[in-house]
Amino acid sequence: MINLVNIHRTFDGEKALDGLTLFVPRGTLLGIIGPGGCGKSTLCKVACGLIRPDMGAVVVDGVDLVRADRKKLLAVQRNCGVQFQNDALFEHMTVLANVEYPLRRLTDLGRGEVRARAMERVAMVGLSGFEDRYPNSLSGGQRRRVALARACVTDPLILICDDPTAGLDPVTSRRILDMIAGIRYQTGNTVIVVSSDVPGMLSVCERAALMWSGRIIEEGVPADFMKSERDEVKRFLDDARLPFGGDR
Amino acid sequence: MSLTRPIRRVGRVFIDASYEIGGAARLLARIFRRLVPPDLDIPELRRCLLRMGYRSLSIMIATAFVVGIILVIQAFVFVDRYGLRSQLGWGAGFTTIRELGPVLLALMFSGRVGAYTAAELGTMEVTDQVDGLRCLAIDPISYLVVPRFVAMVISLVALTIIGNTVALLSASVMGDIMMDVDQHTFWSNLFAMLTPWDYATSIIKAALFGAIIAVTSCHYGLTTTGGAPGVGRSVNNAVVSSAVAIFVVDYLSTFVMG
Ligand SMILES: Nc1ncnc2c1ncn2[C@@H]1O[C@H](COP(=O)(O)OP(=O)(O)O)[C@@H](O)[C@H]1O
Ligand SMILES: [Mg+2]
Repeated sequence: MINLVNIHRTFDGEKALDGLTLFVPRGTLLGIIGPGGCGKSTLCKVACGLIRPDMGAVVVDGVDLVRADRKKLLAVQRNCGVQFQNDALFEHMTVLANVEYPLRRLTDLGRGEVRARAMERVAMVGLSGFEDRYPNSLSGGQRRRVALARACVTDPLILICDDPTAGLDPVTSRRILDMIAGIRYQTGNTVIVVSSDVPGMLSVCERAALMWSGRIIEEGVPADFMKSERDEVKRFLDDARLPFGGDR
Repeated sequence: MSLTRPIRRVGRVFIDASYEIGGAARLLARIFRRLVPPDLDIPELRRCLLRMGYRSLSIMIATAFVVGIILVIQAFVFVDRYGLRSQLGWGAGFTTIRELGPVLLALMFSGRVGAYTAAELGTMEVTDQVDGLRCLAIDPISYLVVPRFVAMVISLVALTIIGNTVALLSASVMGDIMMDVDQHTFWSNLFAMLTPWDYATSIIKAALFGAIIAVTSCHYGLTTTGGAPGVGRSVNNAVVSSAVAIFVVDYLSTFVMG
């Protein structure tokens, strides 16, 4: 369960989050869409305590992240798998070592089991055969998929994916989103996905939220979402070139 | 308006500087909190020692070698005019060990290791790797900063001791060639005149400079924003600030420890 209430955050005098309120019940697959620079990445980091808001409350599984001490914060963060927008791959480790690392740090699994699980996730993102490559020899899309495999390898209670489909072709993009949905149904954990593949998102996620200049302006199940009367929502969905015009 | 502009600009510089110094001081406090009891990543420390200390050895020896030669060439005029050949060992030893050795080697170290560290941590910061560590319940200060701090202090002290020795060796050889000061005169004069405190000063300065370079480069690295150009700015700021801080602390410590 993630509860964000009236979050404000400013960077160098510029508002990134401006009164954002969002409730994510446990076990929901929430898709976040919105134009570039509206604060999606900032939201992702606030939700797992990596960015401290200037104002507002962040409560994750009953822990107030704004007031928590270092220990409590780390305890919440070890249950968060985050795929960052900039991949955050450790460049001195191979693809497989990157994916194994969270398992080695956060679980007591034996070597064989760690390897097997990591291999399975690497295969799941379609990168079998790349295990011994180093991140700097991969393309942007491949790096992002390694980052996704690393974020979800421990089956974290909260999985946050910041644009796993950026720069991917439509087919791969849809496969990645389906994979994330699969993880959600297998584990029953909370998943937050940011993606610019709007049709893909609306088809897989249980709830969708549209962000606009630092706040959530529409939130609901995808079907309602497409019928929204708000100007910004209509405009955004139009610009995203949704194949369904419906009654609009 | 046009009258207040220069004043504003000076004010801006001071405010920015205080901001950075404050940030660096906070980082230093965090480092110390993790030093007692020690909370740092040992394999990372070993990697840092190898990269920062061992791999800097050749360039530091080369620098020290040239410093020794230049020292004798510069001293030649005075030594020759006043007939101070017997005092060359003391002169060279005193200048090298107390002042030139620690400062020049620290500047060299800052340009090599400090710049590298600022770039490395800066890249990790802008590509979210530092946040990635936090999500793996790894404290970036214990894992990244403390090993680098300890490694830089140890490396610079060791390199300064080696560098001083090399500089004095090259000075003694050059003295022999240029002014016929034989090895025995040089070294016996040096050991007779230098006190243990002189050697201690050298080591204390090296440790201080190592700490300065570590804190400055880690601070600028971890506060990098703005992608690849931001990393460039951080490296630049780290090297310039370390140099300024080294000169200021050198002045103060020479004053205090004189
Ligand atoms: N670390 C930062 N420093 C300064 N400005 C930032 C930082 N992170 C985000 N911003 C600013 O906050 C706004 C929102 O950014 P972001 O959350 O990355 O948007 P999105 O992910 O939706 O594209 C942008 O205007 C961006 O420039
Ligand atoms: Mg983003």
